[in-house]
Amino acid sequence: MDKGKQTNAPSKGGKVDGDGLTKKERRALKVQEKNKQHPPDNKKDSQNAPAMKTEPAKPANVPPGQLSEKELRRLEWEKKLAEQKPKPEKSENDNISKAELKARRREQQEAQRLAKQQQQKPPEKAAEVKKAAPSPKKVEKKKVSDSRRLQIVSHLYSDASFSNASVYKNVHPAFVRLGVQYSTKKILGSNARARALLAAVKCLINDLQTPPKQEFCRYLETVLQTCMDYLQLCRPLAVSMTNALRHFKTKLHQVECLEDNVKKEKLLEEIETYVAEEIDKAGEAISLKVNEKISNGDVILTYGCSSLVTKILKDAHLAGKQFKVVVIDGRPLLEGRTMLQRLVQIGINCTYVQMNAVSYVMNQATKLLLGAHALLTNGYVMSRIGTAQVALVAQAFSKPVLVCCETYKFSEQVLTDSFVYNELGDPEMLFTANTLDESSPLVTSKNDNLQILNLLYDVTPPDLITAVVTELAILPCTSAPVVLRIKP
Amino acid sequence: MPENENLTDVIKLISDIRHGKVFNSYEIALRTEQLLEKLISEGQWNNARELMQQIKDKIRQVSQSLPLEATATNIMRHILKVIREEFDLGSEKKAEGQSLHQIVTGDQSDELDYSESHGNLRNRLLDHLTEYKVELETSTENIAAQALEHIHTNEIILTVGISNTVEKFLKHAAKQRKFQVIVVEAAPLYRGHKMAASLANSNIQTTVIPDSGVFAMMSRVNKVIIGTHSVMADGGLRAASGVHAIALAAKHYSVPVMVLSHMYKLTPTYVCSHEKDTFNMCASPANVIPYSTGPLLNKITVYNPIFDYVPPELVTLFISHQGGNAPSYVYRLLSELYHPDDYEL
Repeated sequence: MDKGKQTNAPSKGGKVDGDGLTKKERRALKVQEKNKQHPPDNKKDSQNAPAMKTEPAKPANVPPGQLSEKELRRLEWEKKLAEQKPKPEKSENDNISKAELKARRREQQEAQRLAKQQQQKPPEKAAEVKKAAPSPKKVEKKKVSDSRRLQIVSHLYSDASFSNASVYKNVHPAFVRLGVQYSTKKILGSNARARALLAAVKCLINDLQTPPKQEFCRYLETVLQTCMDYLQLCRPLAVSMTNALRHFKTKLHQVECLEDNVKKEKLLEEIETYVAEEIDKAGEAISLKVNEKISNGDVILTYGCSSLVTKILKDAHLAGKQFKVVVIDGRPLLEGRTMLQRLVQIGINCTYVQMNAVSYVMNQATKLLLGAHALLTNGYVMSRIGTAQVALVAQAFSKPVLVCCETYKFSEQVLTDSFVYNELGDPEMLFTANTLDESSPLVTSKNDNLQILNLLYDVTPPDLITAVVTELAILPCTSAPVVLRIKP
Repeated sequence: MPENENLTDVIKLISDIRHGKVFNSYEIALRTEQLLEKLISEGQWNNARELMQQIKDKIRQVSQSLPLEATATNIMRHILKVIREEFDLGSEKKAEGQSLHQIVTGDQSDELDYSESHGNLRNRLLDHLTEYKVELETSTENIAAQALEHIHTNEIILTVGISNTVEKFLKHAAKQRKFQVIVVEAAPLYRGHKMAASLANSNIQTTVIPDSGVFAMMSRVNKVIIGTHSVMADGGLRAASGVHAIALAAKHYSVPVMVLSHMYKLTPTYVCSHEKDTFNMCASPANVIPYSTGPLLNKITVYNPIFDYVPPELVTLFISHQGGNAPSYVYRLLSELYHPDDYEL
């Protein structure tokens, strides 16, 4: 298959953060294919595929057959998933008729197959297959779990599963990929999710061709909405994502009376500024603020894996401060292990415990640093499940609890319990106890009386939190509405 | 050496406990009782003093080898008290009972001389032990029988890990009332899974949650019902690790915490500090993070504590086979169970 693609993959790594690369490639490839079927008028691709042999081609006017094209794209995507193979390769196919294209493609495939046999690049291929695989599996899992539902949170179960996702025809491949990454929890954590989303939006803007007689921004908005609906289906949107998107939409309305290309440039720029200012710079500012509070000899407790807390601890370590970190971990995601890995890598002295030992380690702690999913208007902190528990124990031992949260994660929402608005994880995640020899009795028990609840978030009441560190200031939780008011 | 001979059975018990052959406290209690019964019926002792000395030796042996094992020593301590009582009853001096004058003046001069021999002390002790054995055997059922006094219809009850007593208690209630149970899985041993499967099989609506979900769920919970390893003299608990956090969450939401405890779990010792070796111990960390994690393990410290201390203010009620008691009353139960002279040996 597409050797070209595979070889390209690493070269694009720098462009989009995280996993963006393959996403982009896929998107690019699909666009190419689209073009094959509807020979494009002009081509000017494309931010993301510099290493491609030919730059395919985004038609300036999208042909009227847009929908069907997308359908085709989708079908292909599904086919790909089914085959558990990455996409059929296609490149170098501009300005050629369909028949020619087909023939050429076949030739290429043959050639590449041969080349592959010679070159033997199994690991890369394996990786790709893996990436494509999860979505069909997921569908099956969800069906199984339907029988075990808990009444308290019955409103949180979504009947729409991936199988319905095919309803969404206009979904850009970058978003399709993103959806899979979200739902398989490959991209976890609200910062990472927001970044990935914005990267996908960038892809979308780059690729978008306004159909005739439509205004670019309007069209973008509708397309984006479909994509977001799709993402929502894969996994409910994070507050950070909603906020970033809202920001983007306001900007979208501001750029209206310009030429399409200029608009694109402008919007891309806006997104980059947003990422730089609201996520990167904010993180740095918070890190500076927290670092003032970290002194030699501190024992810092942290829970789960927060990119921001990792950054803060890293900065403190690089500043030469001597401190210990206790990473508390909670099932079933066990994010703390990632955190542990990152911290140990840079040479921080770490202790690792699970949730059951919180009281055991709390005595030696001097402060707690927690990440957040969102800060709500009523001062409650929404974060990964277990955060409230850790904060509660800290309060019982009179330890200061600092929550680190960029202001772009502040939300207008108000919550007082963890049931009204939450997200359910896959209950089967609780079956797996990778540290036990025998399998859990839950696996074999097919009893309908037995349910498993795997909430992903909880809300921590403000009285358990000493302060929230934002890029603006170190504030009490209750100042959340103030921040929301002064923020543009 | 007769003394060593006397200790062999205790050493056997200790090794069985240490190697996990007898795991739950009920079995330990029965084994200890049998051991004492044998000692009393077949042991070489001529008077109460000698017998008590032998039992004290055993208690010392156990508490040295297994500082965390409370059940065995508690039972032996209780038997010491039983011997004293039986002796008192047998002795002429005490036949008329303690006069008010004696109590007020605290006259210690006429302290009993346990070296006097009583012909029928052995028989009376054996009778008493048989009674005690029945008490041990029925204790769980007696606790379970109170379930209906504590669980009402449609309640949501939270429990942690596995406990035979709690399991029987809930199942007993489930025969007549419909309620839901939330089981905290209690990582890293995941005993909650077994508990949940067992409850679900008895037709109880059961929900398993991870340890991290306790705070979120607690707002919905009506009662927390847990077992414990032992009850300390101040009314606090030495319970499985993680229970402290759960009790705190219950306190935060004002949910009553009920502790099902057999009388032999009442321990006449206090907690000085959580880190003290006599209070807690750490099990193998292999359950917390698998060895397969690789070289990372060389650079980190991992703890897997077994117990948590739960202060008495977080406990609402103790339920034993005698009924419910507040933690503040534990001192009194202790003085009924053990003789004050035997608290420290």
